[in-house]
Amino acid sequence: MADLAHGKPGAGAALSGGHGNASRRDFLTIAGAAIAAVGVASVAWPFIDSMNPAADVLAAGAPVDIDLSHLQPGQQIVVLWRSRPIFIVNRTPDLLKTLQNPNDISLLSDPDSNVMQQPAYAKNWNRSIQPQYLVLVGICTHLGCIPNFMPQANSVGPGWLGGYFCPCHGSRYDLSGRVYSGVPAPYNLPVPPYRFLSKTMIRIGENPPDGGDFSLDSIEQI
Amino acid sequence: MNRLATIVALGAALIFSSGAMAQEEIEAPHLTTWSFAGVFGTFDRASLQRGFQVYNEVCSNCHSMKLLHYRDLGPNGPGGGIGFSAAEVAAIAAQKQVEDGPNDQGEMFRRPGKAQDTFVSPFPNDQAARAANGGAAPPDLSVIVKARGKGLEYLWGEGGPDYVYGILNGFTDPPKGFVLPQGKMYNIYFPGHAISMPPPLADGTVKYQDGTKATLPQEAHDVVTFLTWAAEPYMEDRKKTGAKAILFLLAMTGVLYGAKRKVWKNVH
Amino acid sequence: MSGTPSTVRTNNRLVKWIDTRLPIFSFAQDAAMDYPEPRNLNYWWNFGSLAGIMLIIMIVSGIFLAMQYTPHVDHAFNSVERLMRDVNYGWLLRYIHMNGASFFFIVVYIHIFRGYYYGSYKEPRELLWMLGVLILLLMMATAFFGYVLPWGQMSYWGATVITNLFTAIPVVGNPIHTLLLGGFSVDNPTLNRFFSLHYLLPFVIVGVVGLHLIALRQHGSNNPLGIAVKGPQDQIPFHPYYTMKDMFGLGVFLIIYAIFVFELPNALGDPQNYVQANPLQTPSEIVPEWYLLPFYAILRSIPDKLIGVLAMFAAIFILFLLPWLDTSRVRSSYFRPIHKWVFWLVVIDVFALGTVGAHRPEGAYIVIGRIATFYYFFHFLVLLPLIGWFERPLPLPESIAAAVTKKSGVPSASAQPGAAQ
Repeated sequence: MADLAHGKPGAGAALSGGHGNASRRDFLTIAGAAIAAVGVASVAWPFIDSMNPAADVLAAGAPVDIDLSHLQPGQQIVVLWRSRPIFIVNRTPDLLKTLQNPNDISLLSDPDSNVMQQPAYAKNWNRSIQPQYLVLVGICTHLGCIPNFMPQANSVGPGWLGGYFCPCHGSRYDLSGRVYSGVPAPYNLPVPPYRFLSKTMIRIGENPPDGGDFSLDSIEQI
Repeated sequence: MNRLATIVALGAALIFSSGAMAQEEIEAPHLTTWSFAGVFGTFDRASLQRGFQVYNEVCSNCHSMKLLHYRDLGPNGPGGGIGFSAAEVAAIAAQKQVEDGPNDQGEMFRRPGKAQDTFVSPFPNDQAARAANGGAAPPDLSVIVKARGKGLEYLWGEGGPDYVYGILNGFTDPPKGFVLPQGKMYNIYFPGHAISMPPPLADGTVKYQDGTKATLPQEAHDVVTFLTWAAEPYMEDRKKTGAKAILFLLAMTGVLYGAKRKVWKNVH
Repeated sequence: MSGTPSTVRTNNRLVKWIDTRLPIFSFAQDAAMDYPEPRNLNYWWNFGSLAGIMLIIMIVSGIFLAMQYTPHVDHAFNSVERLMRDVNYGWLLRYIHMNGASFFFIVVYIHIFRGYYYGSYKEPRELLWMLGVLILLLMMATAFFGYVLPWGQMSYWGATVITNLFTAIPVVGNPIHTLLLGGFSVDNPTLNRFFSLHYLLPFVIVGVVGLHLIALRQHGSNNPLGIAVKGPQDQIPFHPYYTMKDMFGLGVFLIIYAIFVFELPNALGDPQNYVQANPLQTPSEIVPEWYLLPFYAILRSIPDKLIGVLAMFAAIFILFLLPWLDTSRVRSSYFRPIHKWVFWLVVIDVFALGTVGAHRPEGAYIVIGRIATFYYFFHFLVLLPLIGWFERPLPLPESIAAAVTKKSGVPSASAQPGAAQ
């Protein structure tokens, strides 16, 4: 059987035709291609959107309620919210005094919390709604390790007033989560959205009714 | 090639209606109409809520629905839920006790349900379900409506609802001469007629909160509507998107046909 | 620098730069634009490109599904239902993939029947045909593995029945069976490896499709008249003629596909598969998906276990031998007055086998199944060779162009006079 003849197709196949025909054909072709492109794009979106968090994942990220009535002064508990460790500390009045010590403040990198690492209602020296309870996201802003809670004076070194020490690369934070200068970590520890449901019950993941709509996605760096 | 089309159609009809001919079960006749039937079908939200009430008060005593969460009923639920608000969902969940844990002492404990919990099962496991029901575990109802009703009507999604509706309405005395095994009930539409479930519904079994008269057909209609939603919460979205997609494709194909004819004009 | 300059027709300098280094653009121009095709291809020739598009749709939807699926016996069924309820557009992904399998087979079966009717398997396209049968085999394996993954009742019991077939092999049957299962029955190891194989095989299919297309390029497409291309007057470039025709055909196909995905998503499935797999309860009927029914019917028609298995595989392997079983010198059945009608017998036979496969093997279905199975082998092993020898074919036209341009007499391509569609 004869093989396929290679070469340009015959005259009858040329893209000939009057101008009117050609432009109508081109219009239809372009219109068809454009509609097809719209179709492909509208099919592509569901595929991509399926990779977004599913409803059960979003539900699992719902706020958690923590009972603080058993939290002793000077103690810290760690709870999980959205798979992240959340530090909650019951700060004693002595510890709170050290936080306003000007010598300590001069050693801090961002003592006034100017960098957006916390909601507006935690942009203060105690970086919390109430000074007694500190709520932080316990992830070092250097490379993501979990800092150790070292509230004892001089436990990390002479002159240590109490705070957090990250064992991975030595970053140090005070007991409001503010980062010291000269350490690898660039920013203060983040504060998550939270509110008080009662004197001893907090809900992590929800802003107070008058506290705006702060979201952890908006901070400088987790 | 019209011959081919005819043969294909015949063959397809043969194969797909095979279900109806194959079983010895009686196909549940189309006893009622469903609001979700057809291309433009939707779920009647009031019926869904009544149906959930029937499930919650009656069926959930024996039947689990492990694939559903309480949050599914609310505004964030699939397909928009069944019309409960977030507060109502939280209240419904809180009525149930859910096992959680271990706590910091290593013990499991019970707490009120939350929106993100799955529907609480009446039995902790399959064996307990079987043991408590004479060896026949009550099936999970999450997708029961898609798991039943093989036959012509199954093709467009009504076979299952018709079947479950038939079962619920089909309890009656056995005809003369029918030998009913010990512990079973006679049901017109159950394959083999001997079902292990006693009739769960009757007139007035539940008192509807919206004041609808709770007759047996009404209760059955509502609970089957709810079960159909539970099996396919996105049905309305699916059908609506489908209508749009098909219209779009018809338009696109029309334009492409015009383009094809123009391109081929000089070859003919 | 040596080498031929880029032949791509463009003014775009980036395209030229890439093309001189990696000739993808000139390849595309050569293969999909200038490529000469017979001018008389009818719409039955659309199904090859449709099959290719379905393969892409299945792979893309499968990859996104695999992001959400858990291949463990305790979680598989629930992960699929989670897809249907919690994952954004998960229901759409699932229904696209589920109905896509059926539509892939519909398209491929029509493509195969077209090849059979028009003699596309004949010299010099024997390897092209055999590669196609290989693709069909790989598709059947892929579909079988895929159907097990949702871990419904049919998934589990279908897997049990089909893997049990291997015990029919004498001597080594049972060890092979255990090797395949990874255990004593279909269980978690089986499910895991089926998931791995289901992910792998489509890419093997892509490779064989590549070979299939290379073999096609060697001698070009067949055409409805079955006669060879004599020169450029018989041909037209692929673009814009067949690109537009394929796009239009795709549009029609997508409408039907969309009707099933959106309005009738469970029409082609079995309700039993919405019941989670229960090793302690066998369903009243174990039935594979519709596209495997004819082979299932052949398997069950033969009372002997081993011969039944052999017959089922023989039914596919016979297709490999088709180029040599058919002794006719003429390709297209259009010019073969006897085969033209006998072809429909095998079509009806396959539908009959499918119907038999869907029912329980009792009563009339046993008889019909045996007759249909017998006819299937009789048709290919006896009828075809005989018809080829004894048939007197109609006179062939001189060339495609002559047939197409004739106003009367032999119409071109399809049975409809006039337009060369």
